[in-house]
Amino acid sequence: MIKIKSLSKHFGNINALDNLNLDIRKGELLGLIGPNGAGKTTAIRIISCILKPDHGDVLVDGCSILEDPLRIKSMIGYLPEEPNLYERFKAYDLLKYFGELYGMPKDKIEPRIDELLELVGMSKRAQHKINTFSKGLRQRIGIARALIHDPEIIIFDEPTMGLDPATSNTIRKFIASLKGEKTIILCTHYMDEAEELCDRVAILNQGKILDLGTPDYLKSKIHGETILKLKIKDIDNIQPRIIKKFESVENVSIIGDQVLVSLSSGEEICNIIELFENNVLSVNTKEPTLEDVFIQRVK
Amino acid sequence: MHSLVITKWEFKNTLSSKKFITIFLLQVSILILMIIFFNSFMGNIEPGKNVALTPSLTGFASIDVVDNENLFEKQLNPDILKINRMNYSIAYNRFKNNKTTGLLIVPSDALEKIDRYETLNLSLFVNYNDPKRSVVKSEVDSASKSLSSIITNEWLKEISPENLTQPSVEQTEQGEPLPLQIINKVMIAILLFLPLFLFGNMVIDSIVGEKERKTAEILMAMPLSPSNIILGKSLAIIITIAFQVILWMIILLSAGFNIKNAILVYLLVILTSIPIIGITSMIAAYCKNYKEAGIGISFIYIGIVGFLVVPALAYLSGSTRASTISPMTLVMKLFSGETISTTDLVIPILIIIVVSLISYSISIQLFKRDDVVFGPRPSLFRLFFEFIGILSLIKYIKSKIL
Ligand SMILES: Nc1ncnc2c1ncn2[C@@H]1O[C@H](COP(=O)(O)OP(=O)(O)O)[C@@H](O)[C@H]1O
Ligand SMILES: [Mg+2]
Repeated sequence: MIKIKSLSKHFGNINALDNLNLDIRKGELLGLIGPNGAGKTTAIRIISCILKPDHGDVLVDGCSILEDPLRIKSMIGYLPEEPNLYERFKAYDLLKYFGELYGMPKDKIEPRIDELLELVGMSKRAQHKINTFSKGLRQRIGIARALIHDPEIIIFDEPTMGLDPATSNTIRKFIASLKGEKTIILCTHYMDEAEELCDRVAILNQGKILDLGTPDYLKSKIHGETILKLKIKDIDNIQPRIIKKFESVENVSIIGDQVLVSLSSGEEICNIIELFENNVLSVNTKEPTLEDVFIQRVK
Repeated sequence: MHSLVITKWEFKNTLSSKKFITIFLLQVSILILMIIFFNSFMGNIEPGKNVALTPSLTGFASIDVVDNENLFEKQLNPDILKINRMNYSIAYNRFKNNKTTGLLIVPSDALEKIDRYETLNLSLFVNYNDPKRSVVKSEVDSASKSLSSIITNEWLKEISPENLTQPSVEQTEQGEPLPLQIINKVMIAILLFLPLFLFGNMVIDSIVGEKERKTAEILMAMPLSPSNIILGKSLAIIITIAFQVILWMIILLSAGFNIKNAILVYLLVILTSIPIIGITSMIAAYCKNYKEAGIGISFIYIGIVGFLVVPALAYLSGSTRASTISPMTLVMKLFSGETISTTDLVIPILIIIVVSLISYSISIQLFKRDDVVFGPRPSLFRLFFEFIGILSLIKYIKSKIL
């Protein structure tokens, strides 16, 4: 559906994107994760034809962003990073304005607005001005605005950034409900969000893709099955060398008063704990998360 | 089509914005005040020529007259002076207390003196604190002259009873005196063109505001071309100007100003607004924030006002050739009903068209560039060099050498 072909973009002497290649399939939800300044926003702005690349091209449904930007723009619903909307507009009028800008037929706009306001839970505030809304409410209107023309492709740039957990959760659920029907790109630096929602994840850093795959694939690639977390009394006396002698141990790290041991299987857990005898304060195991992957890859 | 959607909503928003309504009402009241001041000014320099709104000027300067024989009073002009006849003691007291501008005393034996062919001495007391004293002095002067000529005539009649040939001049006034014409033209022209400069802020609000409030991103994500955006926004403001100028013309006409060819004058003023808004949107397209744009338009507007006004002043002072370049000259000629030659018409309209084409295409080109809209913004020099092709030349030479 979207083919990114050796895309480069620089701002002054910053290379925001460096020869980026990526294929996004029809109907998938692709997560674009990366630290601040990785180039996520730049990449999706180029896909949405807001910025022009220095080199390379993007094909959206076979159309080039260089040749047919207007067609591509009308296929995409784009939610920018900051929910900046026209403050003086009433929520309803704002949606109507954008519906008209997308060239929607008059008789389709109003039912669509009602439907979307219902979906994002803003029906009651339709006649209120945007400048009376909190960030969370603005984000809801922003999402409704991006979806007004029922686009095939939806791009969300950090949709839950700076929102309270409850609102974030509602928005995540909303995105999950769109899954399957639409092709979606989700930029985020919340790993749990990416892990929960995405079919595939691309890890972006300094304008380059470091890795690409399903969350499970990425996790398994870096860690084994389990992570053993031990709280130890005399942590300074621990020698990682001794722990690494076990066959199933892949990695050992000491963080604060905890020892983290990545294991490829759970068979030797008892033997490892025995090493520390009576010094063990607590024992925990957890599955590796995308966050662990991310921290490993983006050092 | 897309442009019109933008125009419609921008215009709707303008009309519903409290800020706009306040500014608008403020402008109308300033306009009415200006008309009132203008009228009383005209009234002062040429009594009887004021349009309608100010009170009449009779009783402007006052003179007390002590004239028992009622000899002199008839010669004074009651249109200019407020004349009070009274006895000496009251009059003297009034004068001492600055209640009147002048006090004229005619001797009580004036008639006898005239009969005896003696010199008639009048006394005029003038209050030097009062700026209107010169009016009193000149009035009394001319009154005494006319009295003396009457006396001379009577005397001549006595010695030769036959009819004497007396030249007499009757005045009929037509048209307006030149200074009044000039002031009138300047005033109407300024009032008509003023609205064109009052909406610069709205252009900035609508174009720079997109960048400053960071809404440019969603606008640029719409299936719109930069020309849709720039033209749509400019059109909304030109329509607002068109409404305002209509209103101002109605006010001017109903205040009694004489505007001939009103429809042509109106169209020409609106036509002139097109390049002015174009130039403003060019500045707005380049500027990052309101402050920068504000400074930008102050400079540019001085230039535009100069371009409009200087040739128009040259026209008023009688020079004709260079003055035709300004649409303001053409407007002045139109509303004062002069005959318009083809060059008078073609030159300003050509200038309007050329400036509009250039300014709008530059604005659109600027808005097309993502570095201008989202940063990092290229310097003006760089843009200029890119425009004239020097940069690509340097690149070409570099690639040849390396
Ligand atoms: N308009 C711009 N002007 C200058 N630098 C920019 C601009 N936009 C992005 N950058 C730079 O490009 C890099 C990538 O930014 P961005 O794509 O916003 O990253 P992300 O969205 O992943 O946080 C950053 O170093 C950022 O500072
Ligand atoms: Mg970003």
